[in-house]
Amino acid sequence: MADVEAARRALIEALGPDEVLSDPLALTLYARDASLVEGACALVVFPRSVADIAACLRIAAEHGLPVVPRGSGTGLAGGATPIGDALVVVTSKMTRILEVRPQDRLAWVEPGLPNLDLANALRPHGFTFAPDPSSQQTSSIGGNVSTNAGGPHCLAYGVTSNHVLALDVVLPDGSVERLGSESPETAGYDLRAVLVGSEGTLGIVGGVCVRLTPLPSDVRTMLLDFDAVADCAATVSHVIASGVVPAAMEMMDHGIVVAAERFAHAGYPTDAAAILIVEVDGTPGAVEAQSRVVETAARTNRVRTIRIAADEAERALIWKGRKSAFGAVAQIAPHYHLHDCVVPRSKLVEVLDGVYEIAARHDLVVTNVFHAGDGNLHPLLSFDRSVPGTLERVLRASDEIVRLCVDAGGALSGEHGIGLEKRDFMPLVFTAEDLSAQACVRSAFDPDGRMNPLKVLPDGARCGDFAMARGSVAAEASAELPEGAWI
Amino acid sequence: MDLIHPQSKAEVVDAVRRANADRRRLLVVGGRRHLDKGNPAEFDAELWTTQLDRLIAYEPAEMIVVAEAGMRTGELGRILAAGGQEWPADAPEDATIGGALAAGASSARRLKVGALRDTVLEAEVVTGDGRFIRSGARTVKNVTGYDLHKLVVGSLGTLGVIVQVALKVRPLPETRRTLRFASAPGIAEAILAAVPAAAAVISTPDGIELRLEGWSAEVDEQALLASAIAAPIDAIVGARFPGLRPWDERPVVAEVAVPPSRIAEVVPADAWGALTGVGIAWCGLDSLDGELTALRERAHAVGGIAPVIRGPGGLGDPPVPASEVQRRLKTAFDPNAVLAPGRGWGGA
Repeated sequence: MADVEAARRALIEALGPDEVLSDPLALTLYARDASLVEGACALVVFPRSVADIAACLRIAAEHGLPVVPRGSGTGLAGGATPIGDALVVVTSKMTRILEVRPQDRLAWVEPGLPNLDLANALRPHGFTFAPDPSSQQTSSIGGNVSTNAGGPHCLAYGVTSNHVLALDVVLPDGSVERLGSESPETAGYDLRAVLVGSEGTLGIVGGVCVRLTPLPSDVRTMLLDFDAVADCAATVSHVIASGVVPAAMEMMDHGIVVAAERFAHAGYPTDAAAILIVEVDGTPGAVEAQSRVVETAARTNRVRTIRIAADEAERALIWKGRKSAFGAVAQIAPHYHLHDCVVPRSKLVEVLDGVYEIAARHDLVVTNVFHAGDGNLHPLLSFDRSVPGTLERVLRASDEIVRLCVDAGGALSGEHGIGLEKRDFMPLVFTAEDLSAQACVRSAFDPDGRMNPLKVLPDGARCGDFAMARGSVAAEASAELPEGAWI
Repeated sequence: MDLIHPQSKAEVVDAVRRANADRRRLLVVGGRRHLDKGNPAEFDAELWTTQLDRLIAYEPAEMIVVAEAGMRTGELGRILAAGGQEWPADAPEDATIGGALAAGASSARRLKVGALRDTVLEAEVVTGDGRFIRSGARTVKNVTGYDLHKLVVGSLGTLGVIVQVALKVRPLPETRRTLRFASAPGIAEAILAAVPAAAAVISTPDGIELRLEGWSAEVDEQALLASAIAAPIDAIVGARFPGLRPWDERPVVAEVAVPPSRIAEVVPADAWGALTGVGIAWCGLDSLDGELTALRERAHAVGGIAPVIRGPGGLGDPPVPASEVQRRLKTAFDPNAVLAPGRGWGGA
């Protein structure tokens, strides 16, 4: 059994009293992330260095506490929601940019650094960090690594995994290991590849070596609007099939356009069935050539108007509407539940129709804003939790949406992760043997099952003697996972 | 020594399970083009993947191709070209997809096309203990569990047999052009700074080549920018890249990987080609002992590696010993050590 009080004293000794919280308010604040799931924790700590993180993990191991890593808490799948007597290790006080080395096209940063702060710091050097999740003002690089975060510009530039060269990771026993290196290839198995997207279940990222992407000389942002959702989606496939991969291709349906316009005043056409934001970049010649293809594809698919941002201010405004869309839906209802499934691009229309049908059947308001170029849907269900029975309807509709995407040949998550929320859907897409291999990876890093127990892998996934939620810390925590922990 | 030619994935599973039962060691073989990379290993049979060469799915508008791992990269290239696309491995025509992936091969155009690992979206693998597993999905984005499909890239066939993959492909460029420049210190770096989105800048003792790929107007613009740095001595449209390959004339080729700015400190006196801004250099060598040892010492000194990719010489020692996690992974996926024991880094 965990000895919370002894752990608390040891942590105060190691990190100082200001960095260790155990008051009821703190424990409530850190009992959840941005998902609908609420949990519980015993202690919250704020390390300021890799050595601090290592001390936290050693102390947790010694006193039998499960550990939940946390960045900015913007995760949408419950990956940072603690369970039971967890020690929550928050990296938000580790926000330094340690080194920028343009000549090596890399930078070393601490895990708590907000994504947008990094992009802004790199701009004077002529570079950027390509992943740009909508949460980028707040979400941390460490969190981006944990969820293999995406964002609109991942269409052309790839997801976080493509932009991480090395990670200094504190393993569950408190030892520190560098995965990957500053060199393009490394000796041994590519552990960096499995750590990215591992949702805090393998260790805690203490330092990140990111790859720098050169900023394009020219950028053109276009706003296209359509009378039919199907025409908008068909334009997306048409562009890709024509050999153009725009920097970004984002779709918003009528409901979200109206909400975003009220909030951002971006000049979105509120009578359109759907709009498409397309951004192309490169040299002036590349921008021109790509724009021509996009225009042809749009006209073939009955676009109403094509608006081209005249300057940086207009471009920023168009993006403001898109990136603040999730905030803007607060006008529709006080709560929302956001999905994140990926389907083949050719199935976009079919799946969207299905999503509208599911929402209508459960009497729920659904709006859609998503990375159309990647086939990454974000159906957003708006609701008021205080109305009895509503949350249950939301969860039933959510279940159906997930199954719809999987049936269309899709994945459970494109960029938010599995966390707690989708853990029990994993057998929908993986066999027991597939999951056993996943458990093998986990046990290689964390033989005692101490890191972020109950996340990602469903109960029963096992690698040899190692079993999820059996004979491990997770087993104790499992017993404490209350019915309705989803709420 | 036995040769095993599975005709299906199920036969691969059978072969690996039998090998476990009989404690017979297997070397997984594709097109034999990347086999030199790896430490000498003892084995009792070769398991050939070349009969697993079917195309499973290809829809150009999805920019994803699914194929069995024994398909030759030349065949894949022809299929994709018909859809106006490519998989940028730049491997020899008769190399297999699985071989290029297992070896973690690098394209000369890596600056633009990225690491091969990042093109792998889904993989089916028969693990060393005979489990048939799948990881990833046939979508361009996916965060659904651990990316085992990326872990097997570069694992040299020591964790499992890659039997099928879904790959992210890219549109073929409208124009390809190589500009050649005379070698001079600092020129390659200056050209890259002027054209940061180039497909490649390769520096050799015989000259520098800038590879431009993209829209015609874009390539013209980039050529103009580069010409402001130095006058090109030649412009070659289309054609194989790199044109200059001095390392190819030597019996042994090592692939150096170091932080990009350190590459000039590491390469030998002659017969090399270094990818500016990437940190990869191919170095042609005559002798194993003196030259290779010295090259590896220089690579280690700047935190890099120098495995041999053609000829004898193996991987060399890793800069740091294999960690406990590395060892546990190998044990979990190949508990009876039937997959070419000793072939991997640090004896994995």
